[in-house]
Amino acid sequence: MSKHAITLKVNGASYDLVVASNKTLLEVLRDQLNMPETKYGCGTGECGACSVLVEGDVAINSCLTLAATMDGREITTAAGLQQNGELHPVQQAFIDHSAVQCGYCTPGMVVKGVSLLAKNPNPTEQEIREGLEGSICRCTGYVKIVEAVDAAGKAMAVAAD
Amino acid sequence: MSTRVLTDFDLVLPGSLSEALDILAQNGSAVTVVAGGTDILVAMKAGFKADMVMSLTALPDLDYLDYDASSGLRIGANASIAQVVDSADVERHYPALWQAAKIFATPQLRNTATVVGNLLRGSPAGDCCAAVAALGGSLTMASAGSTRELDIDDLWVAYGTTARADNELAVELKIPAPAAGRVSAFKRLTRVNEDLAKLNVAVSLQMDGSTCSDVRLAMGCVAPTMIRLPSAEAVLEGSELNSETLEKAAAAVQEDISPIDDQRSTAEYRRGVAGVYLKRAVEQACSIA
Repeated sequence: MSKHAITLKVNGASYDLVVASNKTLLEVLRDQLNMPETKYGCGTGECGACSVLVEGDVAINSCLTLAATMDGREITTAAGLQQNGELHPVQQAFIDHSAVQCGYCTPGMVVKGVSLLAKNPNPTEQEIREGLEGSICRCTGYVKIVEAVDAAGKAMAVAAD
Repeated sequence: MSTRVLTDFDLVLPGSLSEALDILAQNGSAVTVVAGGTDILVAMKAGFKADMVMSLTALPDLDYLDYDASSGLRIGANASIAQVVDSADVERHYPALWQAAKIFATPQLRNTATVVGNLLRGSPAGDCCAAVAALGGSLTMASAGSTRELDIDDLWVAYGTTARADNELAVELKIPAPAAGRVSAFKRLTRVNEDLAKLNVAVSLQMDGSTCSDVRLAMGCVAPTMIRLPSAEAVLEGSELNSETLEKAAAAVQEDISPIDDQRSTAEYRRGVAGVYLKRAVEQACSIA
């Protein structure tokens, strides 16, 4: 096993860490940095519960990312989306549309919503559904989640005017 | 048994190409090369043993995707599938590759997985593998002190096995610039979009009116590796593209494939759909669907 000294910027704060070669970004976030908002689901990149943003808006599976390969990168988790106590429009829309049931997939879903709206601020329903592929909700359907992302996109467009 | 836990291994993160090639020269087959890692990490969590993992993450300047009208497309070893999707040049000049990248896995995996990694994985199901096999091209294989071009037709030698030597690193994929009249397309059959293919197919043809030449057809999940379809290619080569020749090509596919039953499909079903999907891919390429 090798150890690696890395610097991770997570939700705006910088952390100097020593990580083992076999630790994933997800494990480092949850176990070393005590940030449990990012979830462990399948561990193999299929369910999307572990999704985080790199460099602001690029969604990745933190369960398939070796922490040592992320030296110097900027990570945003669902908890880092709020600004000065104001929820991110995607987070607010998930609340407003009751797009949460058990909540386990929600941090990943919210992160994916932010990522897809960053790339496509005015998506069609089909584009939202495609953008949310790779994030699985096992409680129920995806109708409210899709509605929430749609509403967030519209709210962000209004705010940007 | 899948424990989904990564057991210990040594991780090396070379900061330069020469350092990476030295590591390969010294350690050869003991090194598992990882770019995006989306496939190999899953394999390692399922029990694949890697003693030394060499990540390409810290290698500078390998994340490019450049298109030039005369020299064609160059894709560096660290360029992601998402970069292909975002490229208007690829969408316009290499539809088969763009269509494969567009529906490749999931958004998160597209942001991490690399095109070159998909080729080097050597899976018979790789979506970019089908596209690149149809478009034709070569990989630049670098080793300490030398470099060679490996034709894509010579890359896959057996299931999960490539012609890469233990001391080599695939640093770049080249796909030639398409001549005027070159058309291509990719099609995939899955249960839901996130799935690996039950069957995938990519085609690339040079059209002169309705006559096609320089026909390259590739199909996945129907043999131990991604394969070209020589019998079907021979039917189409130099012929007028019409429903009759398409039917003949679709029938000829049966001679080229040797599908098996696995968790995603059956040999019988794959034999049933192979010709249909080939036909549809050609129609899609020629926009006559």
